[in-house]
Amino acid sequence: MSESADVVVVGGGILGCSVALHLATAMPTARIVVLDRGPIAGATSGRCMGHLMVTPDTKEEYAFSHTSIRMWAELQEEIGGFDYNPTGALYLADEPEDLELLPILQKQFADCGDKADILDQKQLRDMEPGLAHDLPGALFYEGDGVVLPMTSCSAMLRLGQRRNPKLEVRPGTEVTGFDGVGSRITAVRTKNGVIKTENAVIACGVWSPAVGKLAGIPALPIVPRAGNLAITAHHATPILRQLLEVSYIRFAHGAAKVDPWKTDEDKGGHAVNMQPQSAGGCLIGSTRQFRGFDTTLNRELLHRSLLRAQRYAPGLADLPIVRTWVGLRPYSVDKHPFVGPWPQTDGLWICSGHEGLGISLSMISGHLIAAQMTKTQCEVDPTSWLPRRIL
Amino acid sequence: MSGDLRIGGIRRGDSVEFTFEGERIVAQKGETIAMALWAHGQRVLRNSSRDGGPRAVLCNMGVCYECLVRIDGAVVRACMTEVENGMSVLRGGKP
Amino acid sequence: MSAPTCETPATIDADVGIVGAGPGGMAAALRIAEAGLSVVILDEGSRPGGQIFRQLPDGFVHANPPAEPPSHDAGHDLLHAISGATVRIEQRATVWDATPPRGDEPGRLWFEQGSASRLLRCKAIVLAPGALDRCVPFPGWTLPGVITAGAAQVMVRGYGIKPGARAVVAGSGPLLLPTVTALASAGVKVVAALEAAPRIAALRALPGVLRSGARLREAMFYARQLWRTGVTLQFSHAVFAAEGDGCVQRAVIGKLDREGNPIRSSAKSIDVDVVCTGYGLVPSIEIGQRLGCKAVWNEARGGWHIEALSFGATNVERVFAVGEIAGIGGSEVAIAEGHATGAMVAGILQQRPVLSALRDRATSVRRAADAMLRAFVVPKGVFSLAGDDTIVCRCEDVSAACVRDAARLHGDSLRAIKMGCRAGMGPCQGRMCTPNVQAIATRGSCQQWDEPVAQVPLKPVRTQTILSAPTK
Repeated sequence: MSESADVVVVGGGILGCSVALHLATAMPTARIVVLDRGPIAGATSGRCMGHLMVTPDTKEEYAFSHTSIRMWAELQEEIGGFDYNPTGALYLADEPEDLELLPILQKQFADCGDKADILDQKQLRDMEPGLAHDLPGALFYEGDGVVLPMTSCSAMLRLGQRRNPKLEVRPGTEVTGFDGVGSRITAVRTKNGVIKTENAVIACGVWSPAVGKLAGIPALPIVPRAGNLAITAHHATPILRQLLEVSYIRFAHGAAKVDPWKTDEDKGGHAVNMQPQSAGGCLIGSTRQFRGFDTTLNRELLHRSLLRAQRYAPGLADLPIVRTWVGLRPYSVDKHPFVGPWPQTDGLWICSGHEGLGISLSMISGHLIAAQMTKTQCEVDPTSWLPRRIL
Repeated sequence: MSGDLRIGGIRRGDSVEFTFEGERIVAQKGETIAMALWAHGQRVLRNSSRDGGPRAVLCNMGVCYECLVRIDGAVVRACMTEVENGMSVLRGGKP
Repeated sequence: MSAPTCETPATIDADVGIVGAGPGGMAAALRIAEAGLSVVILDEGSRPGGQIFRQLPDGFVHANPPAEPPSHDAGHDLLHAISGATVRIEQRATVWDATPPRGDEPGRLWFEQGSASRLLRCKAIVLAPGALDRCVPFPGWTLPGVITAGAAQVMVRGYGIKPGARAVVAGSGPLLLPTVTALASAGVKVVAALEAAPRIAALRALPGVLRSGARLREAMFYARQLWRTGVTLQFSHAVFAAEGDGCVQRAVIGKLDREGNPIRSSAKSIDVDVVCTGYGLVPSIEIGQRLGCKAVWNEARGGWHIEALSFGATNVERVFAVGEIAGIGGSEVAIAEGHATGAMVAGILQQRPVLSALRDRATSVRRAADAMLRAFVVPKGVFSLAGDDTIVCRCEDVSAACVRDAARLHGDSLRAIKMGCRAGMGPCQGRMCTPNVQAIATRGSCQQWDEPVAQVPLKPVRTQTILSAPTK
């Protein structure tokens, strides 16, 4: 039995699904197959938070994230069904010293031509009555939001199938190898058979290095970075908007202070991120720790982040926690995701390594893969994210 | 249903007064919020999380969480929480 | 047994910790206390007895108590014995995390009690958390007034409250009879009693009934009660839908074909204000899974249950399982297993030999229960009762159509469906919908669901409970 496809997307998480959607849009008659070893959204995309977050650290990152979030709004218009909740984001100061961080962040947004508002204690209390009354202030950015990642995957695939009925989704299909490595991709081998194709996209998150190896990529520098999460019961949320500690920006997307490969040395860090889901509970994160593929709960780290969350939103103390769990972020060692062709093998593509911004950046990343594959106009400059930088 | 659904011939605990959605309810000490309200003919304890539909006691033994109500900022199972004097209970779920 | 006060210690120590003060937990506790060991039971209810031997609240007295089945004699005996024994029972205790004993390290059971966060440390753990009613979704089953068979019994026997004026009881298995009896004793008019299994199922259950004298006496009691109330159990029948404006006002009932599919032409509407539904019980296994106990599948025992070996031992050292958690079997099984396990736990801690007769009795009672319950497996066709817009996961408002769509797109495993539509992600943690989602996705062709994964907290608890939990 031999079958063929125009593109095989390996990985059914948020990035694989976005790649599939954008390919289906760009190539409405092509045969596109999405494979995943497990269920769709069965790994990181089923265990993560759901922020849509504009990062103004550089103009490039701003354009990348801002465009992506605009595309999310379009996805909501087009299909919905993923608890899109454009709450904006409050960057909270804890101590008065933190107040000096607010104008820094505000200026970053301003430098990118965007705007964010500094709120004093009273303005903050009016906006979020559930917050602790002694919080000195915050920065409010209107453009951020929250989605439910798992059903976002479904929505992307559904819309993809609407635009291209030949888009096929195959969970439970493990990839075992690639033919044509080193010259030009000719087939993807799976446990259930061979699919002839000239294009294969690796979108396997934390497992991208392992799958990359099968495709002749020696060492894709992506490492799992664990996060402990908790969620409250439905409509049992002390807050209405996404909250971040302003100190979050000090380390979350900046350089890791520990060597990601020396996992036993990482005591872990945490900064509160709370997300009220539109019809659900309040999601509480987030901690960061390098410890390989271990997904057992780190109670101490979780406690630290719950304590911080409770400090900002005291009402949390009496609300029921329904579930706690651990997800693994695909941390790219140079902090930039890999989005584009792999130069050593024609037809081999990578879309992975977005760490904690995979949901945010999935739309633009899927678009960049599709645009480069079909040689059409990219919405943003793809250069910084090209995988060739590691060669 | 209206009227009292308490079965006759049972000697019960002392009277306890609480409010549900602002309405004053007289119950017997030892009853749960869910049972006191059921006896009173008040079945709807929660609005479902998405469509806001009326939900009531299903399992009555603390498993199904259909009877989540709010008391002073906490969210509790009405079928597992005993009534107390002065308690102010609000319907749970979608506001 | 009262609510904890400021003086209540957050951490308590005992030789043995037991989860659940139902028949199995009480029987085990009595054996252990008799041997002179300290034992603490953590129970979620307000009084001991579990669901089966549910008592009225403290201080309530029934002037003229209704007739009870013979099996309840054993319940009264246990309750009487436990009130005079040196068994400490922590009521209103919700266990939310646990670790097994290892070497000299004690086993740990973390529990929430009111607003207190507490910990029980013990040398051995006996799990007797019981079971929950199995529901199979049908149109209108989210309407106020649709309750489980167990809920109806708790209302009547546990609080002396009538579920309504006119009821229909529907589902499958031996628990329908006590439900009808309880309703009738409360003065509720039972308009219909519907058993989904065909009449031949009752005949198939007979050998299991006849093997046990107690079970036979029980069956005769219910036959007599049914006759007195004038209710006839109709086999191969089910509630097709519940209807009403804001609460149950009518039920559509009808006949099922051999496979359990509704025969729509037989449907008729009856006026009721309560629908009691129950397709048997599902073992509560999460705490066992959390402790590392192996779960095995047995449809007749309610699906996934903890594998209990001789004397209730599990694969985890000094963790034991008795009664429904080891597979649905009823109170007689739970009591026999509780006695055997209690004696064994005491024997292990005191390094004494244990009478094998206790084990043999538990094994034999369990076999008889298996033989009977095998007759009442849920018929495949009832999973097609749910229409496209019927809610399957009540916590997340997920419809049958969404479940089927999720299975198509994400995969048909339990986890895949959950990821595709959120079924099982709400506060009941999937307890109610897990047995149904895959069966509904496959229209009954896959009735074995995947083993669910236990997560912490084992039941929802306050953030403050987690934060203030004793760590040692």
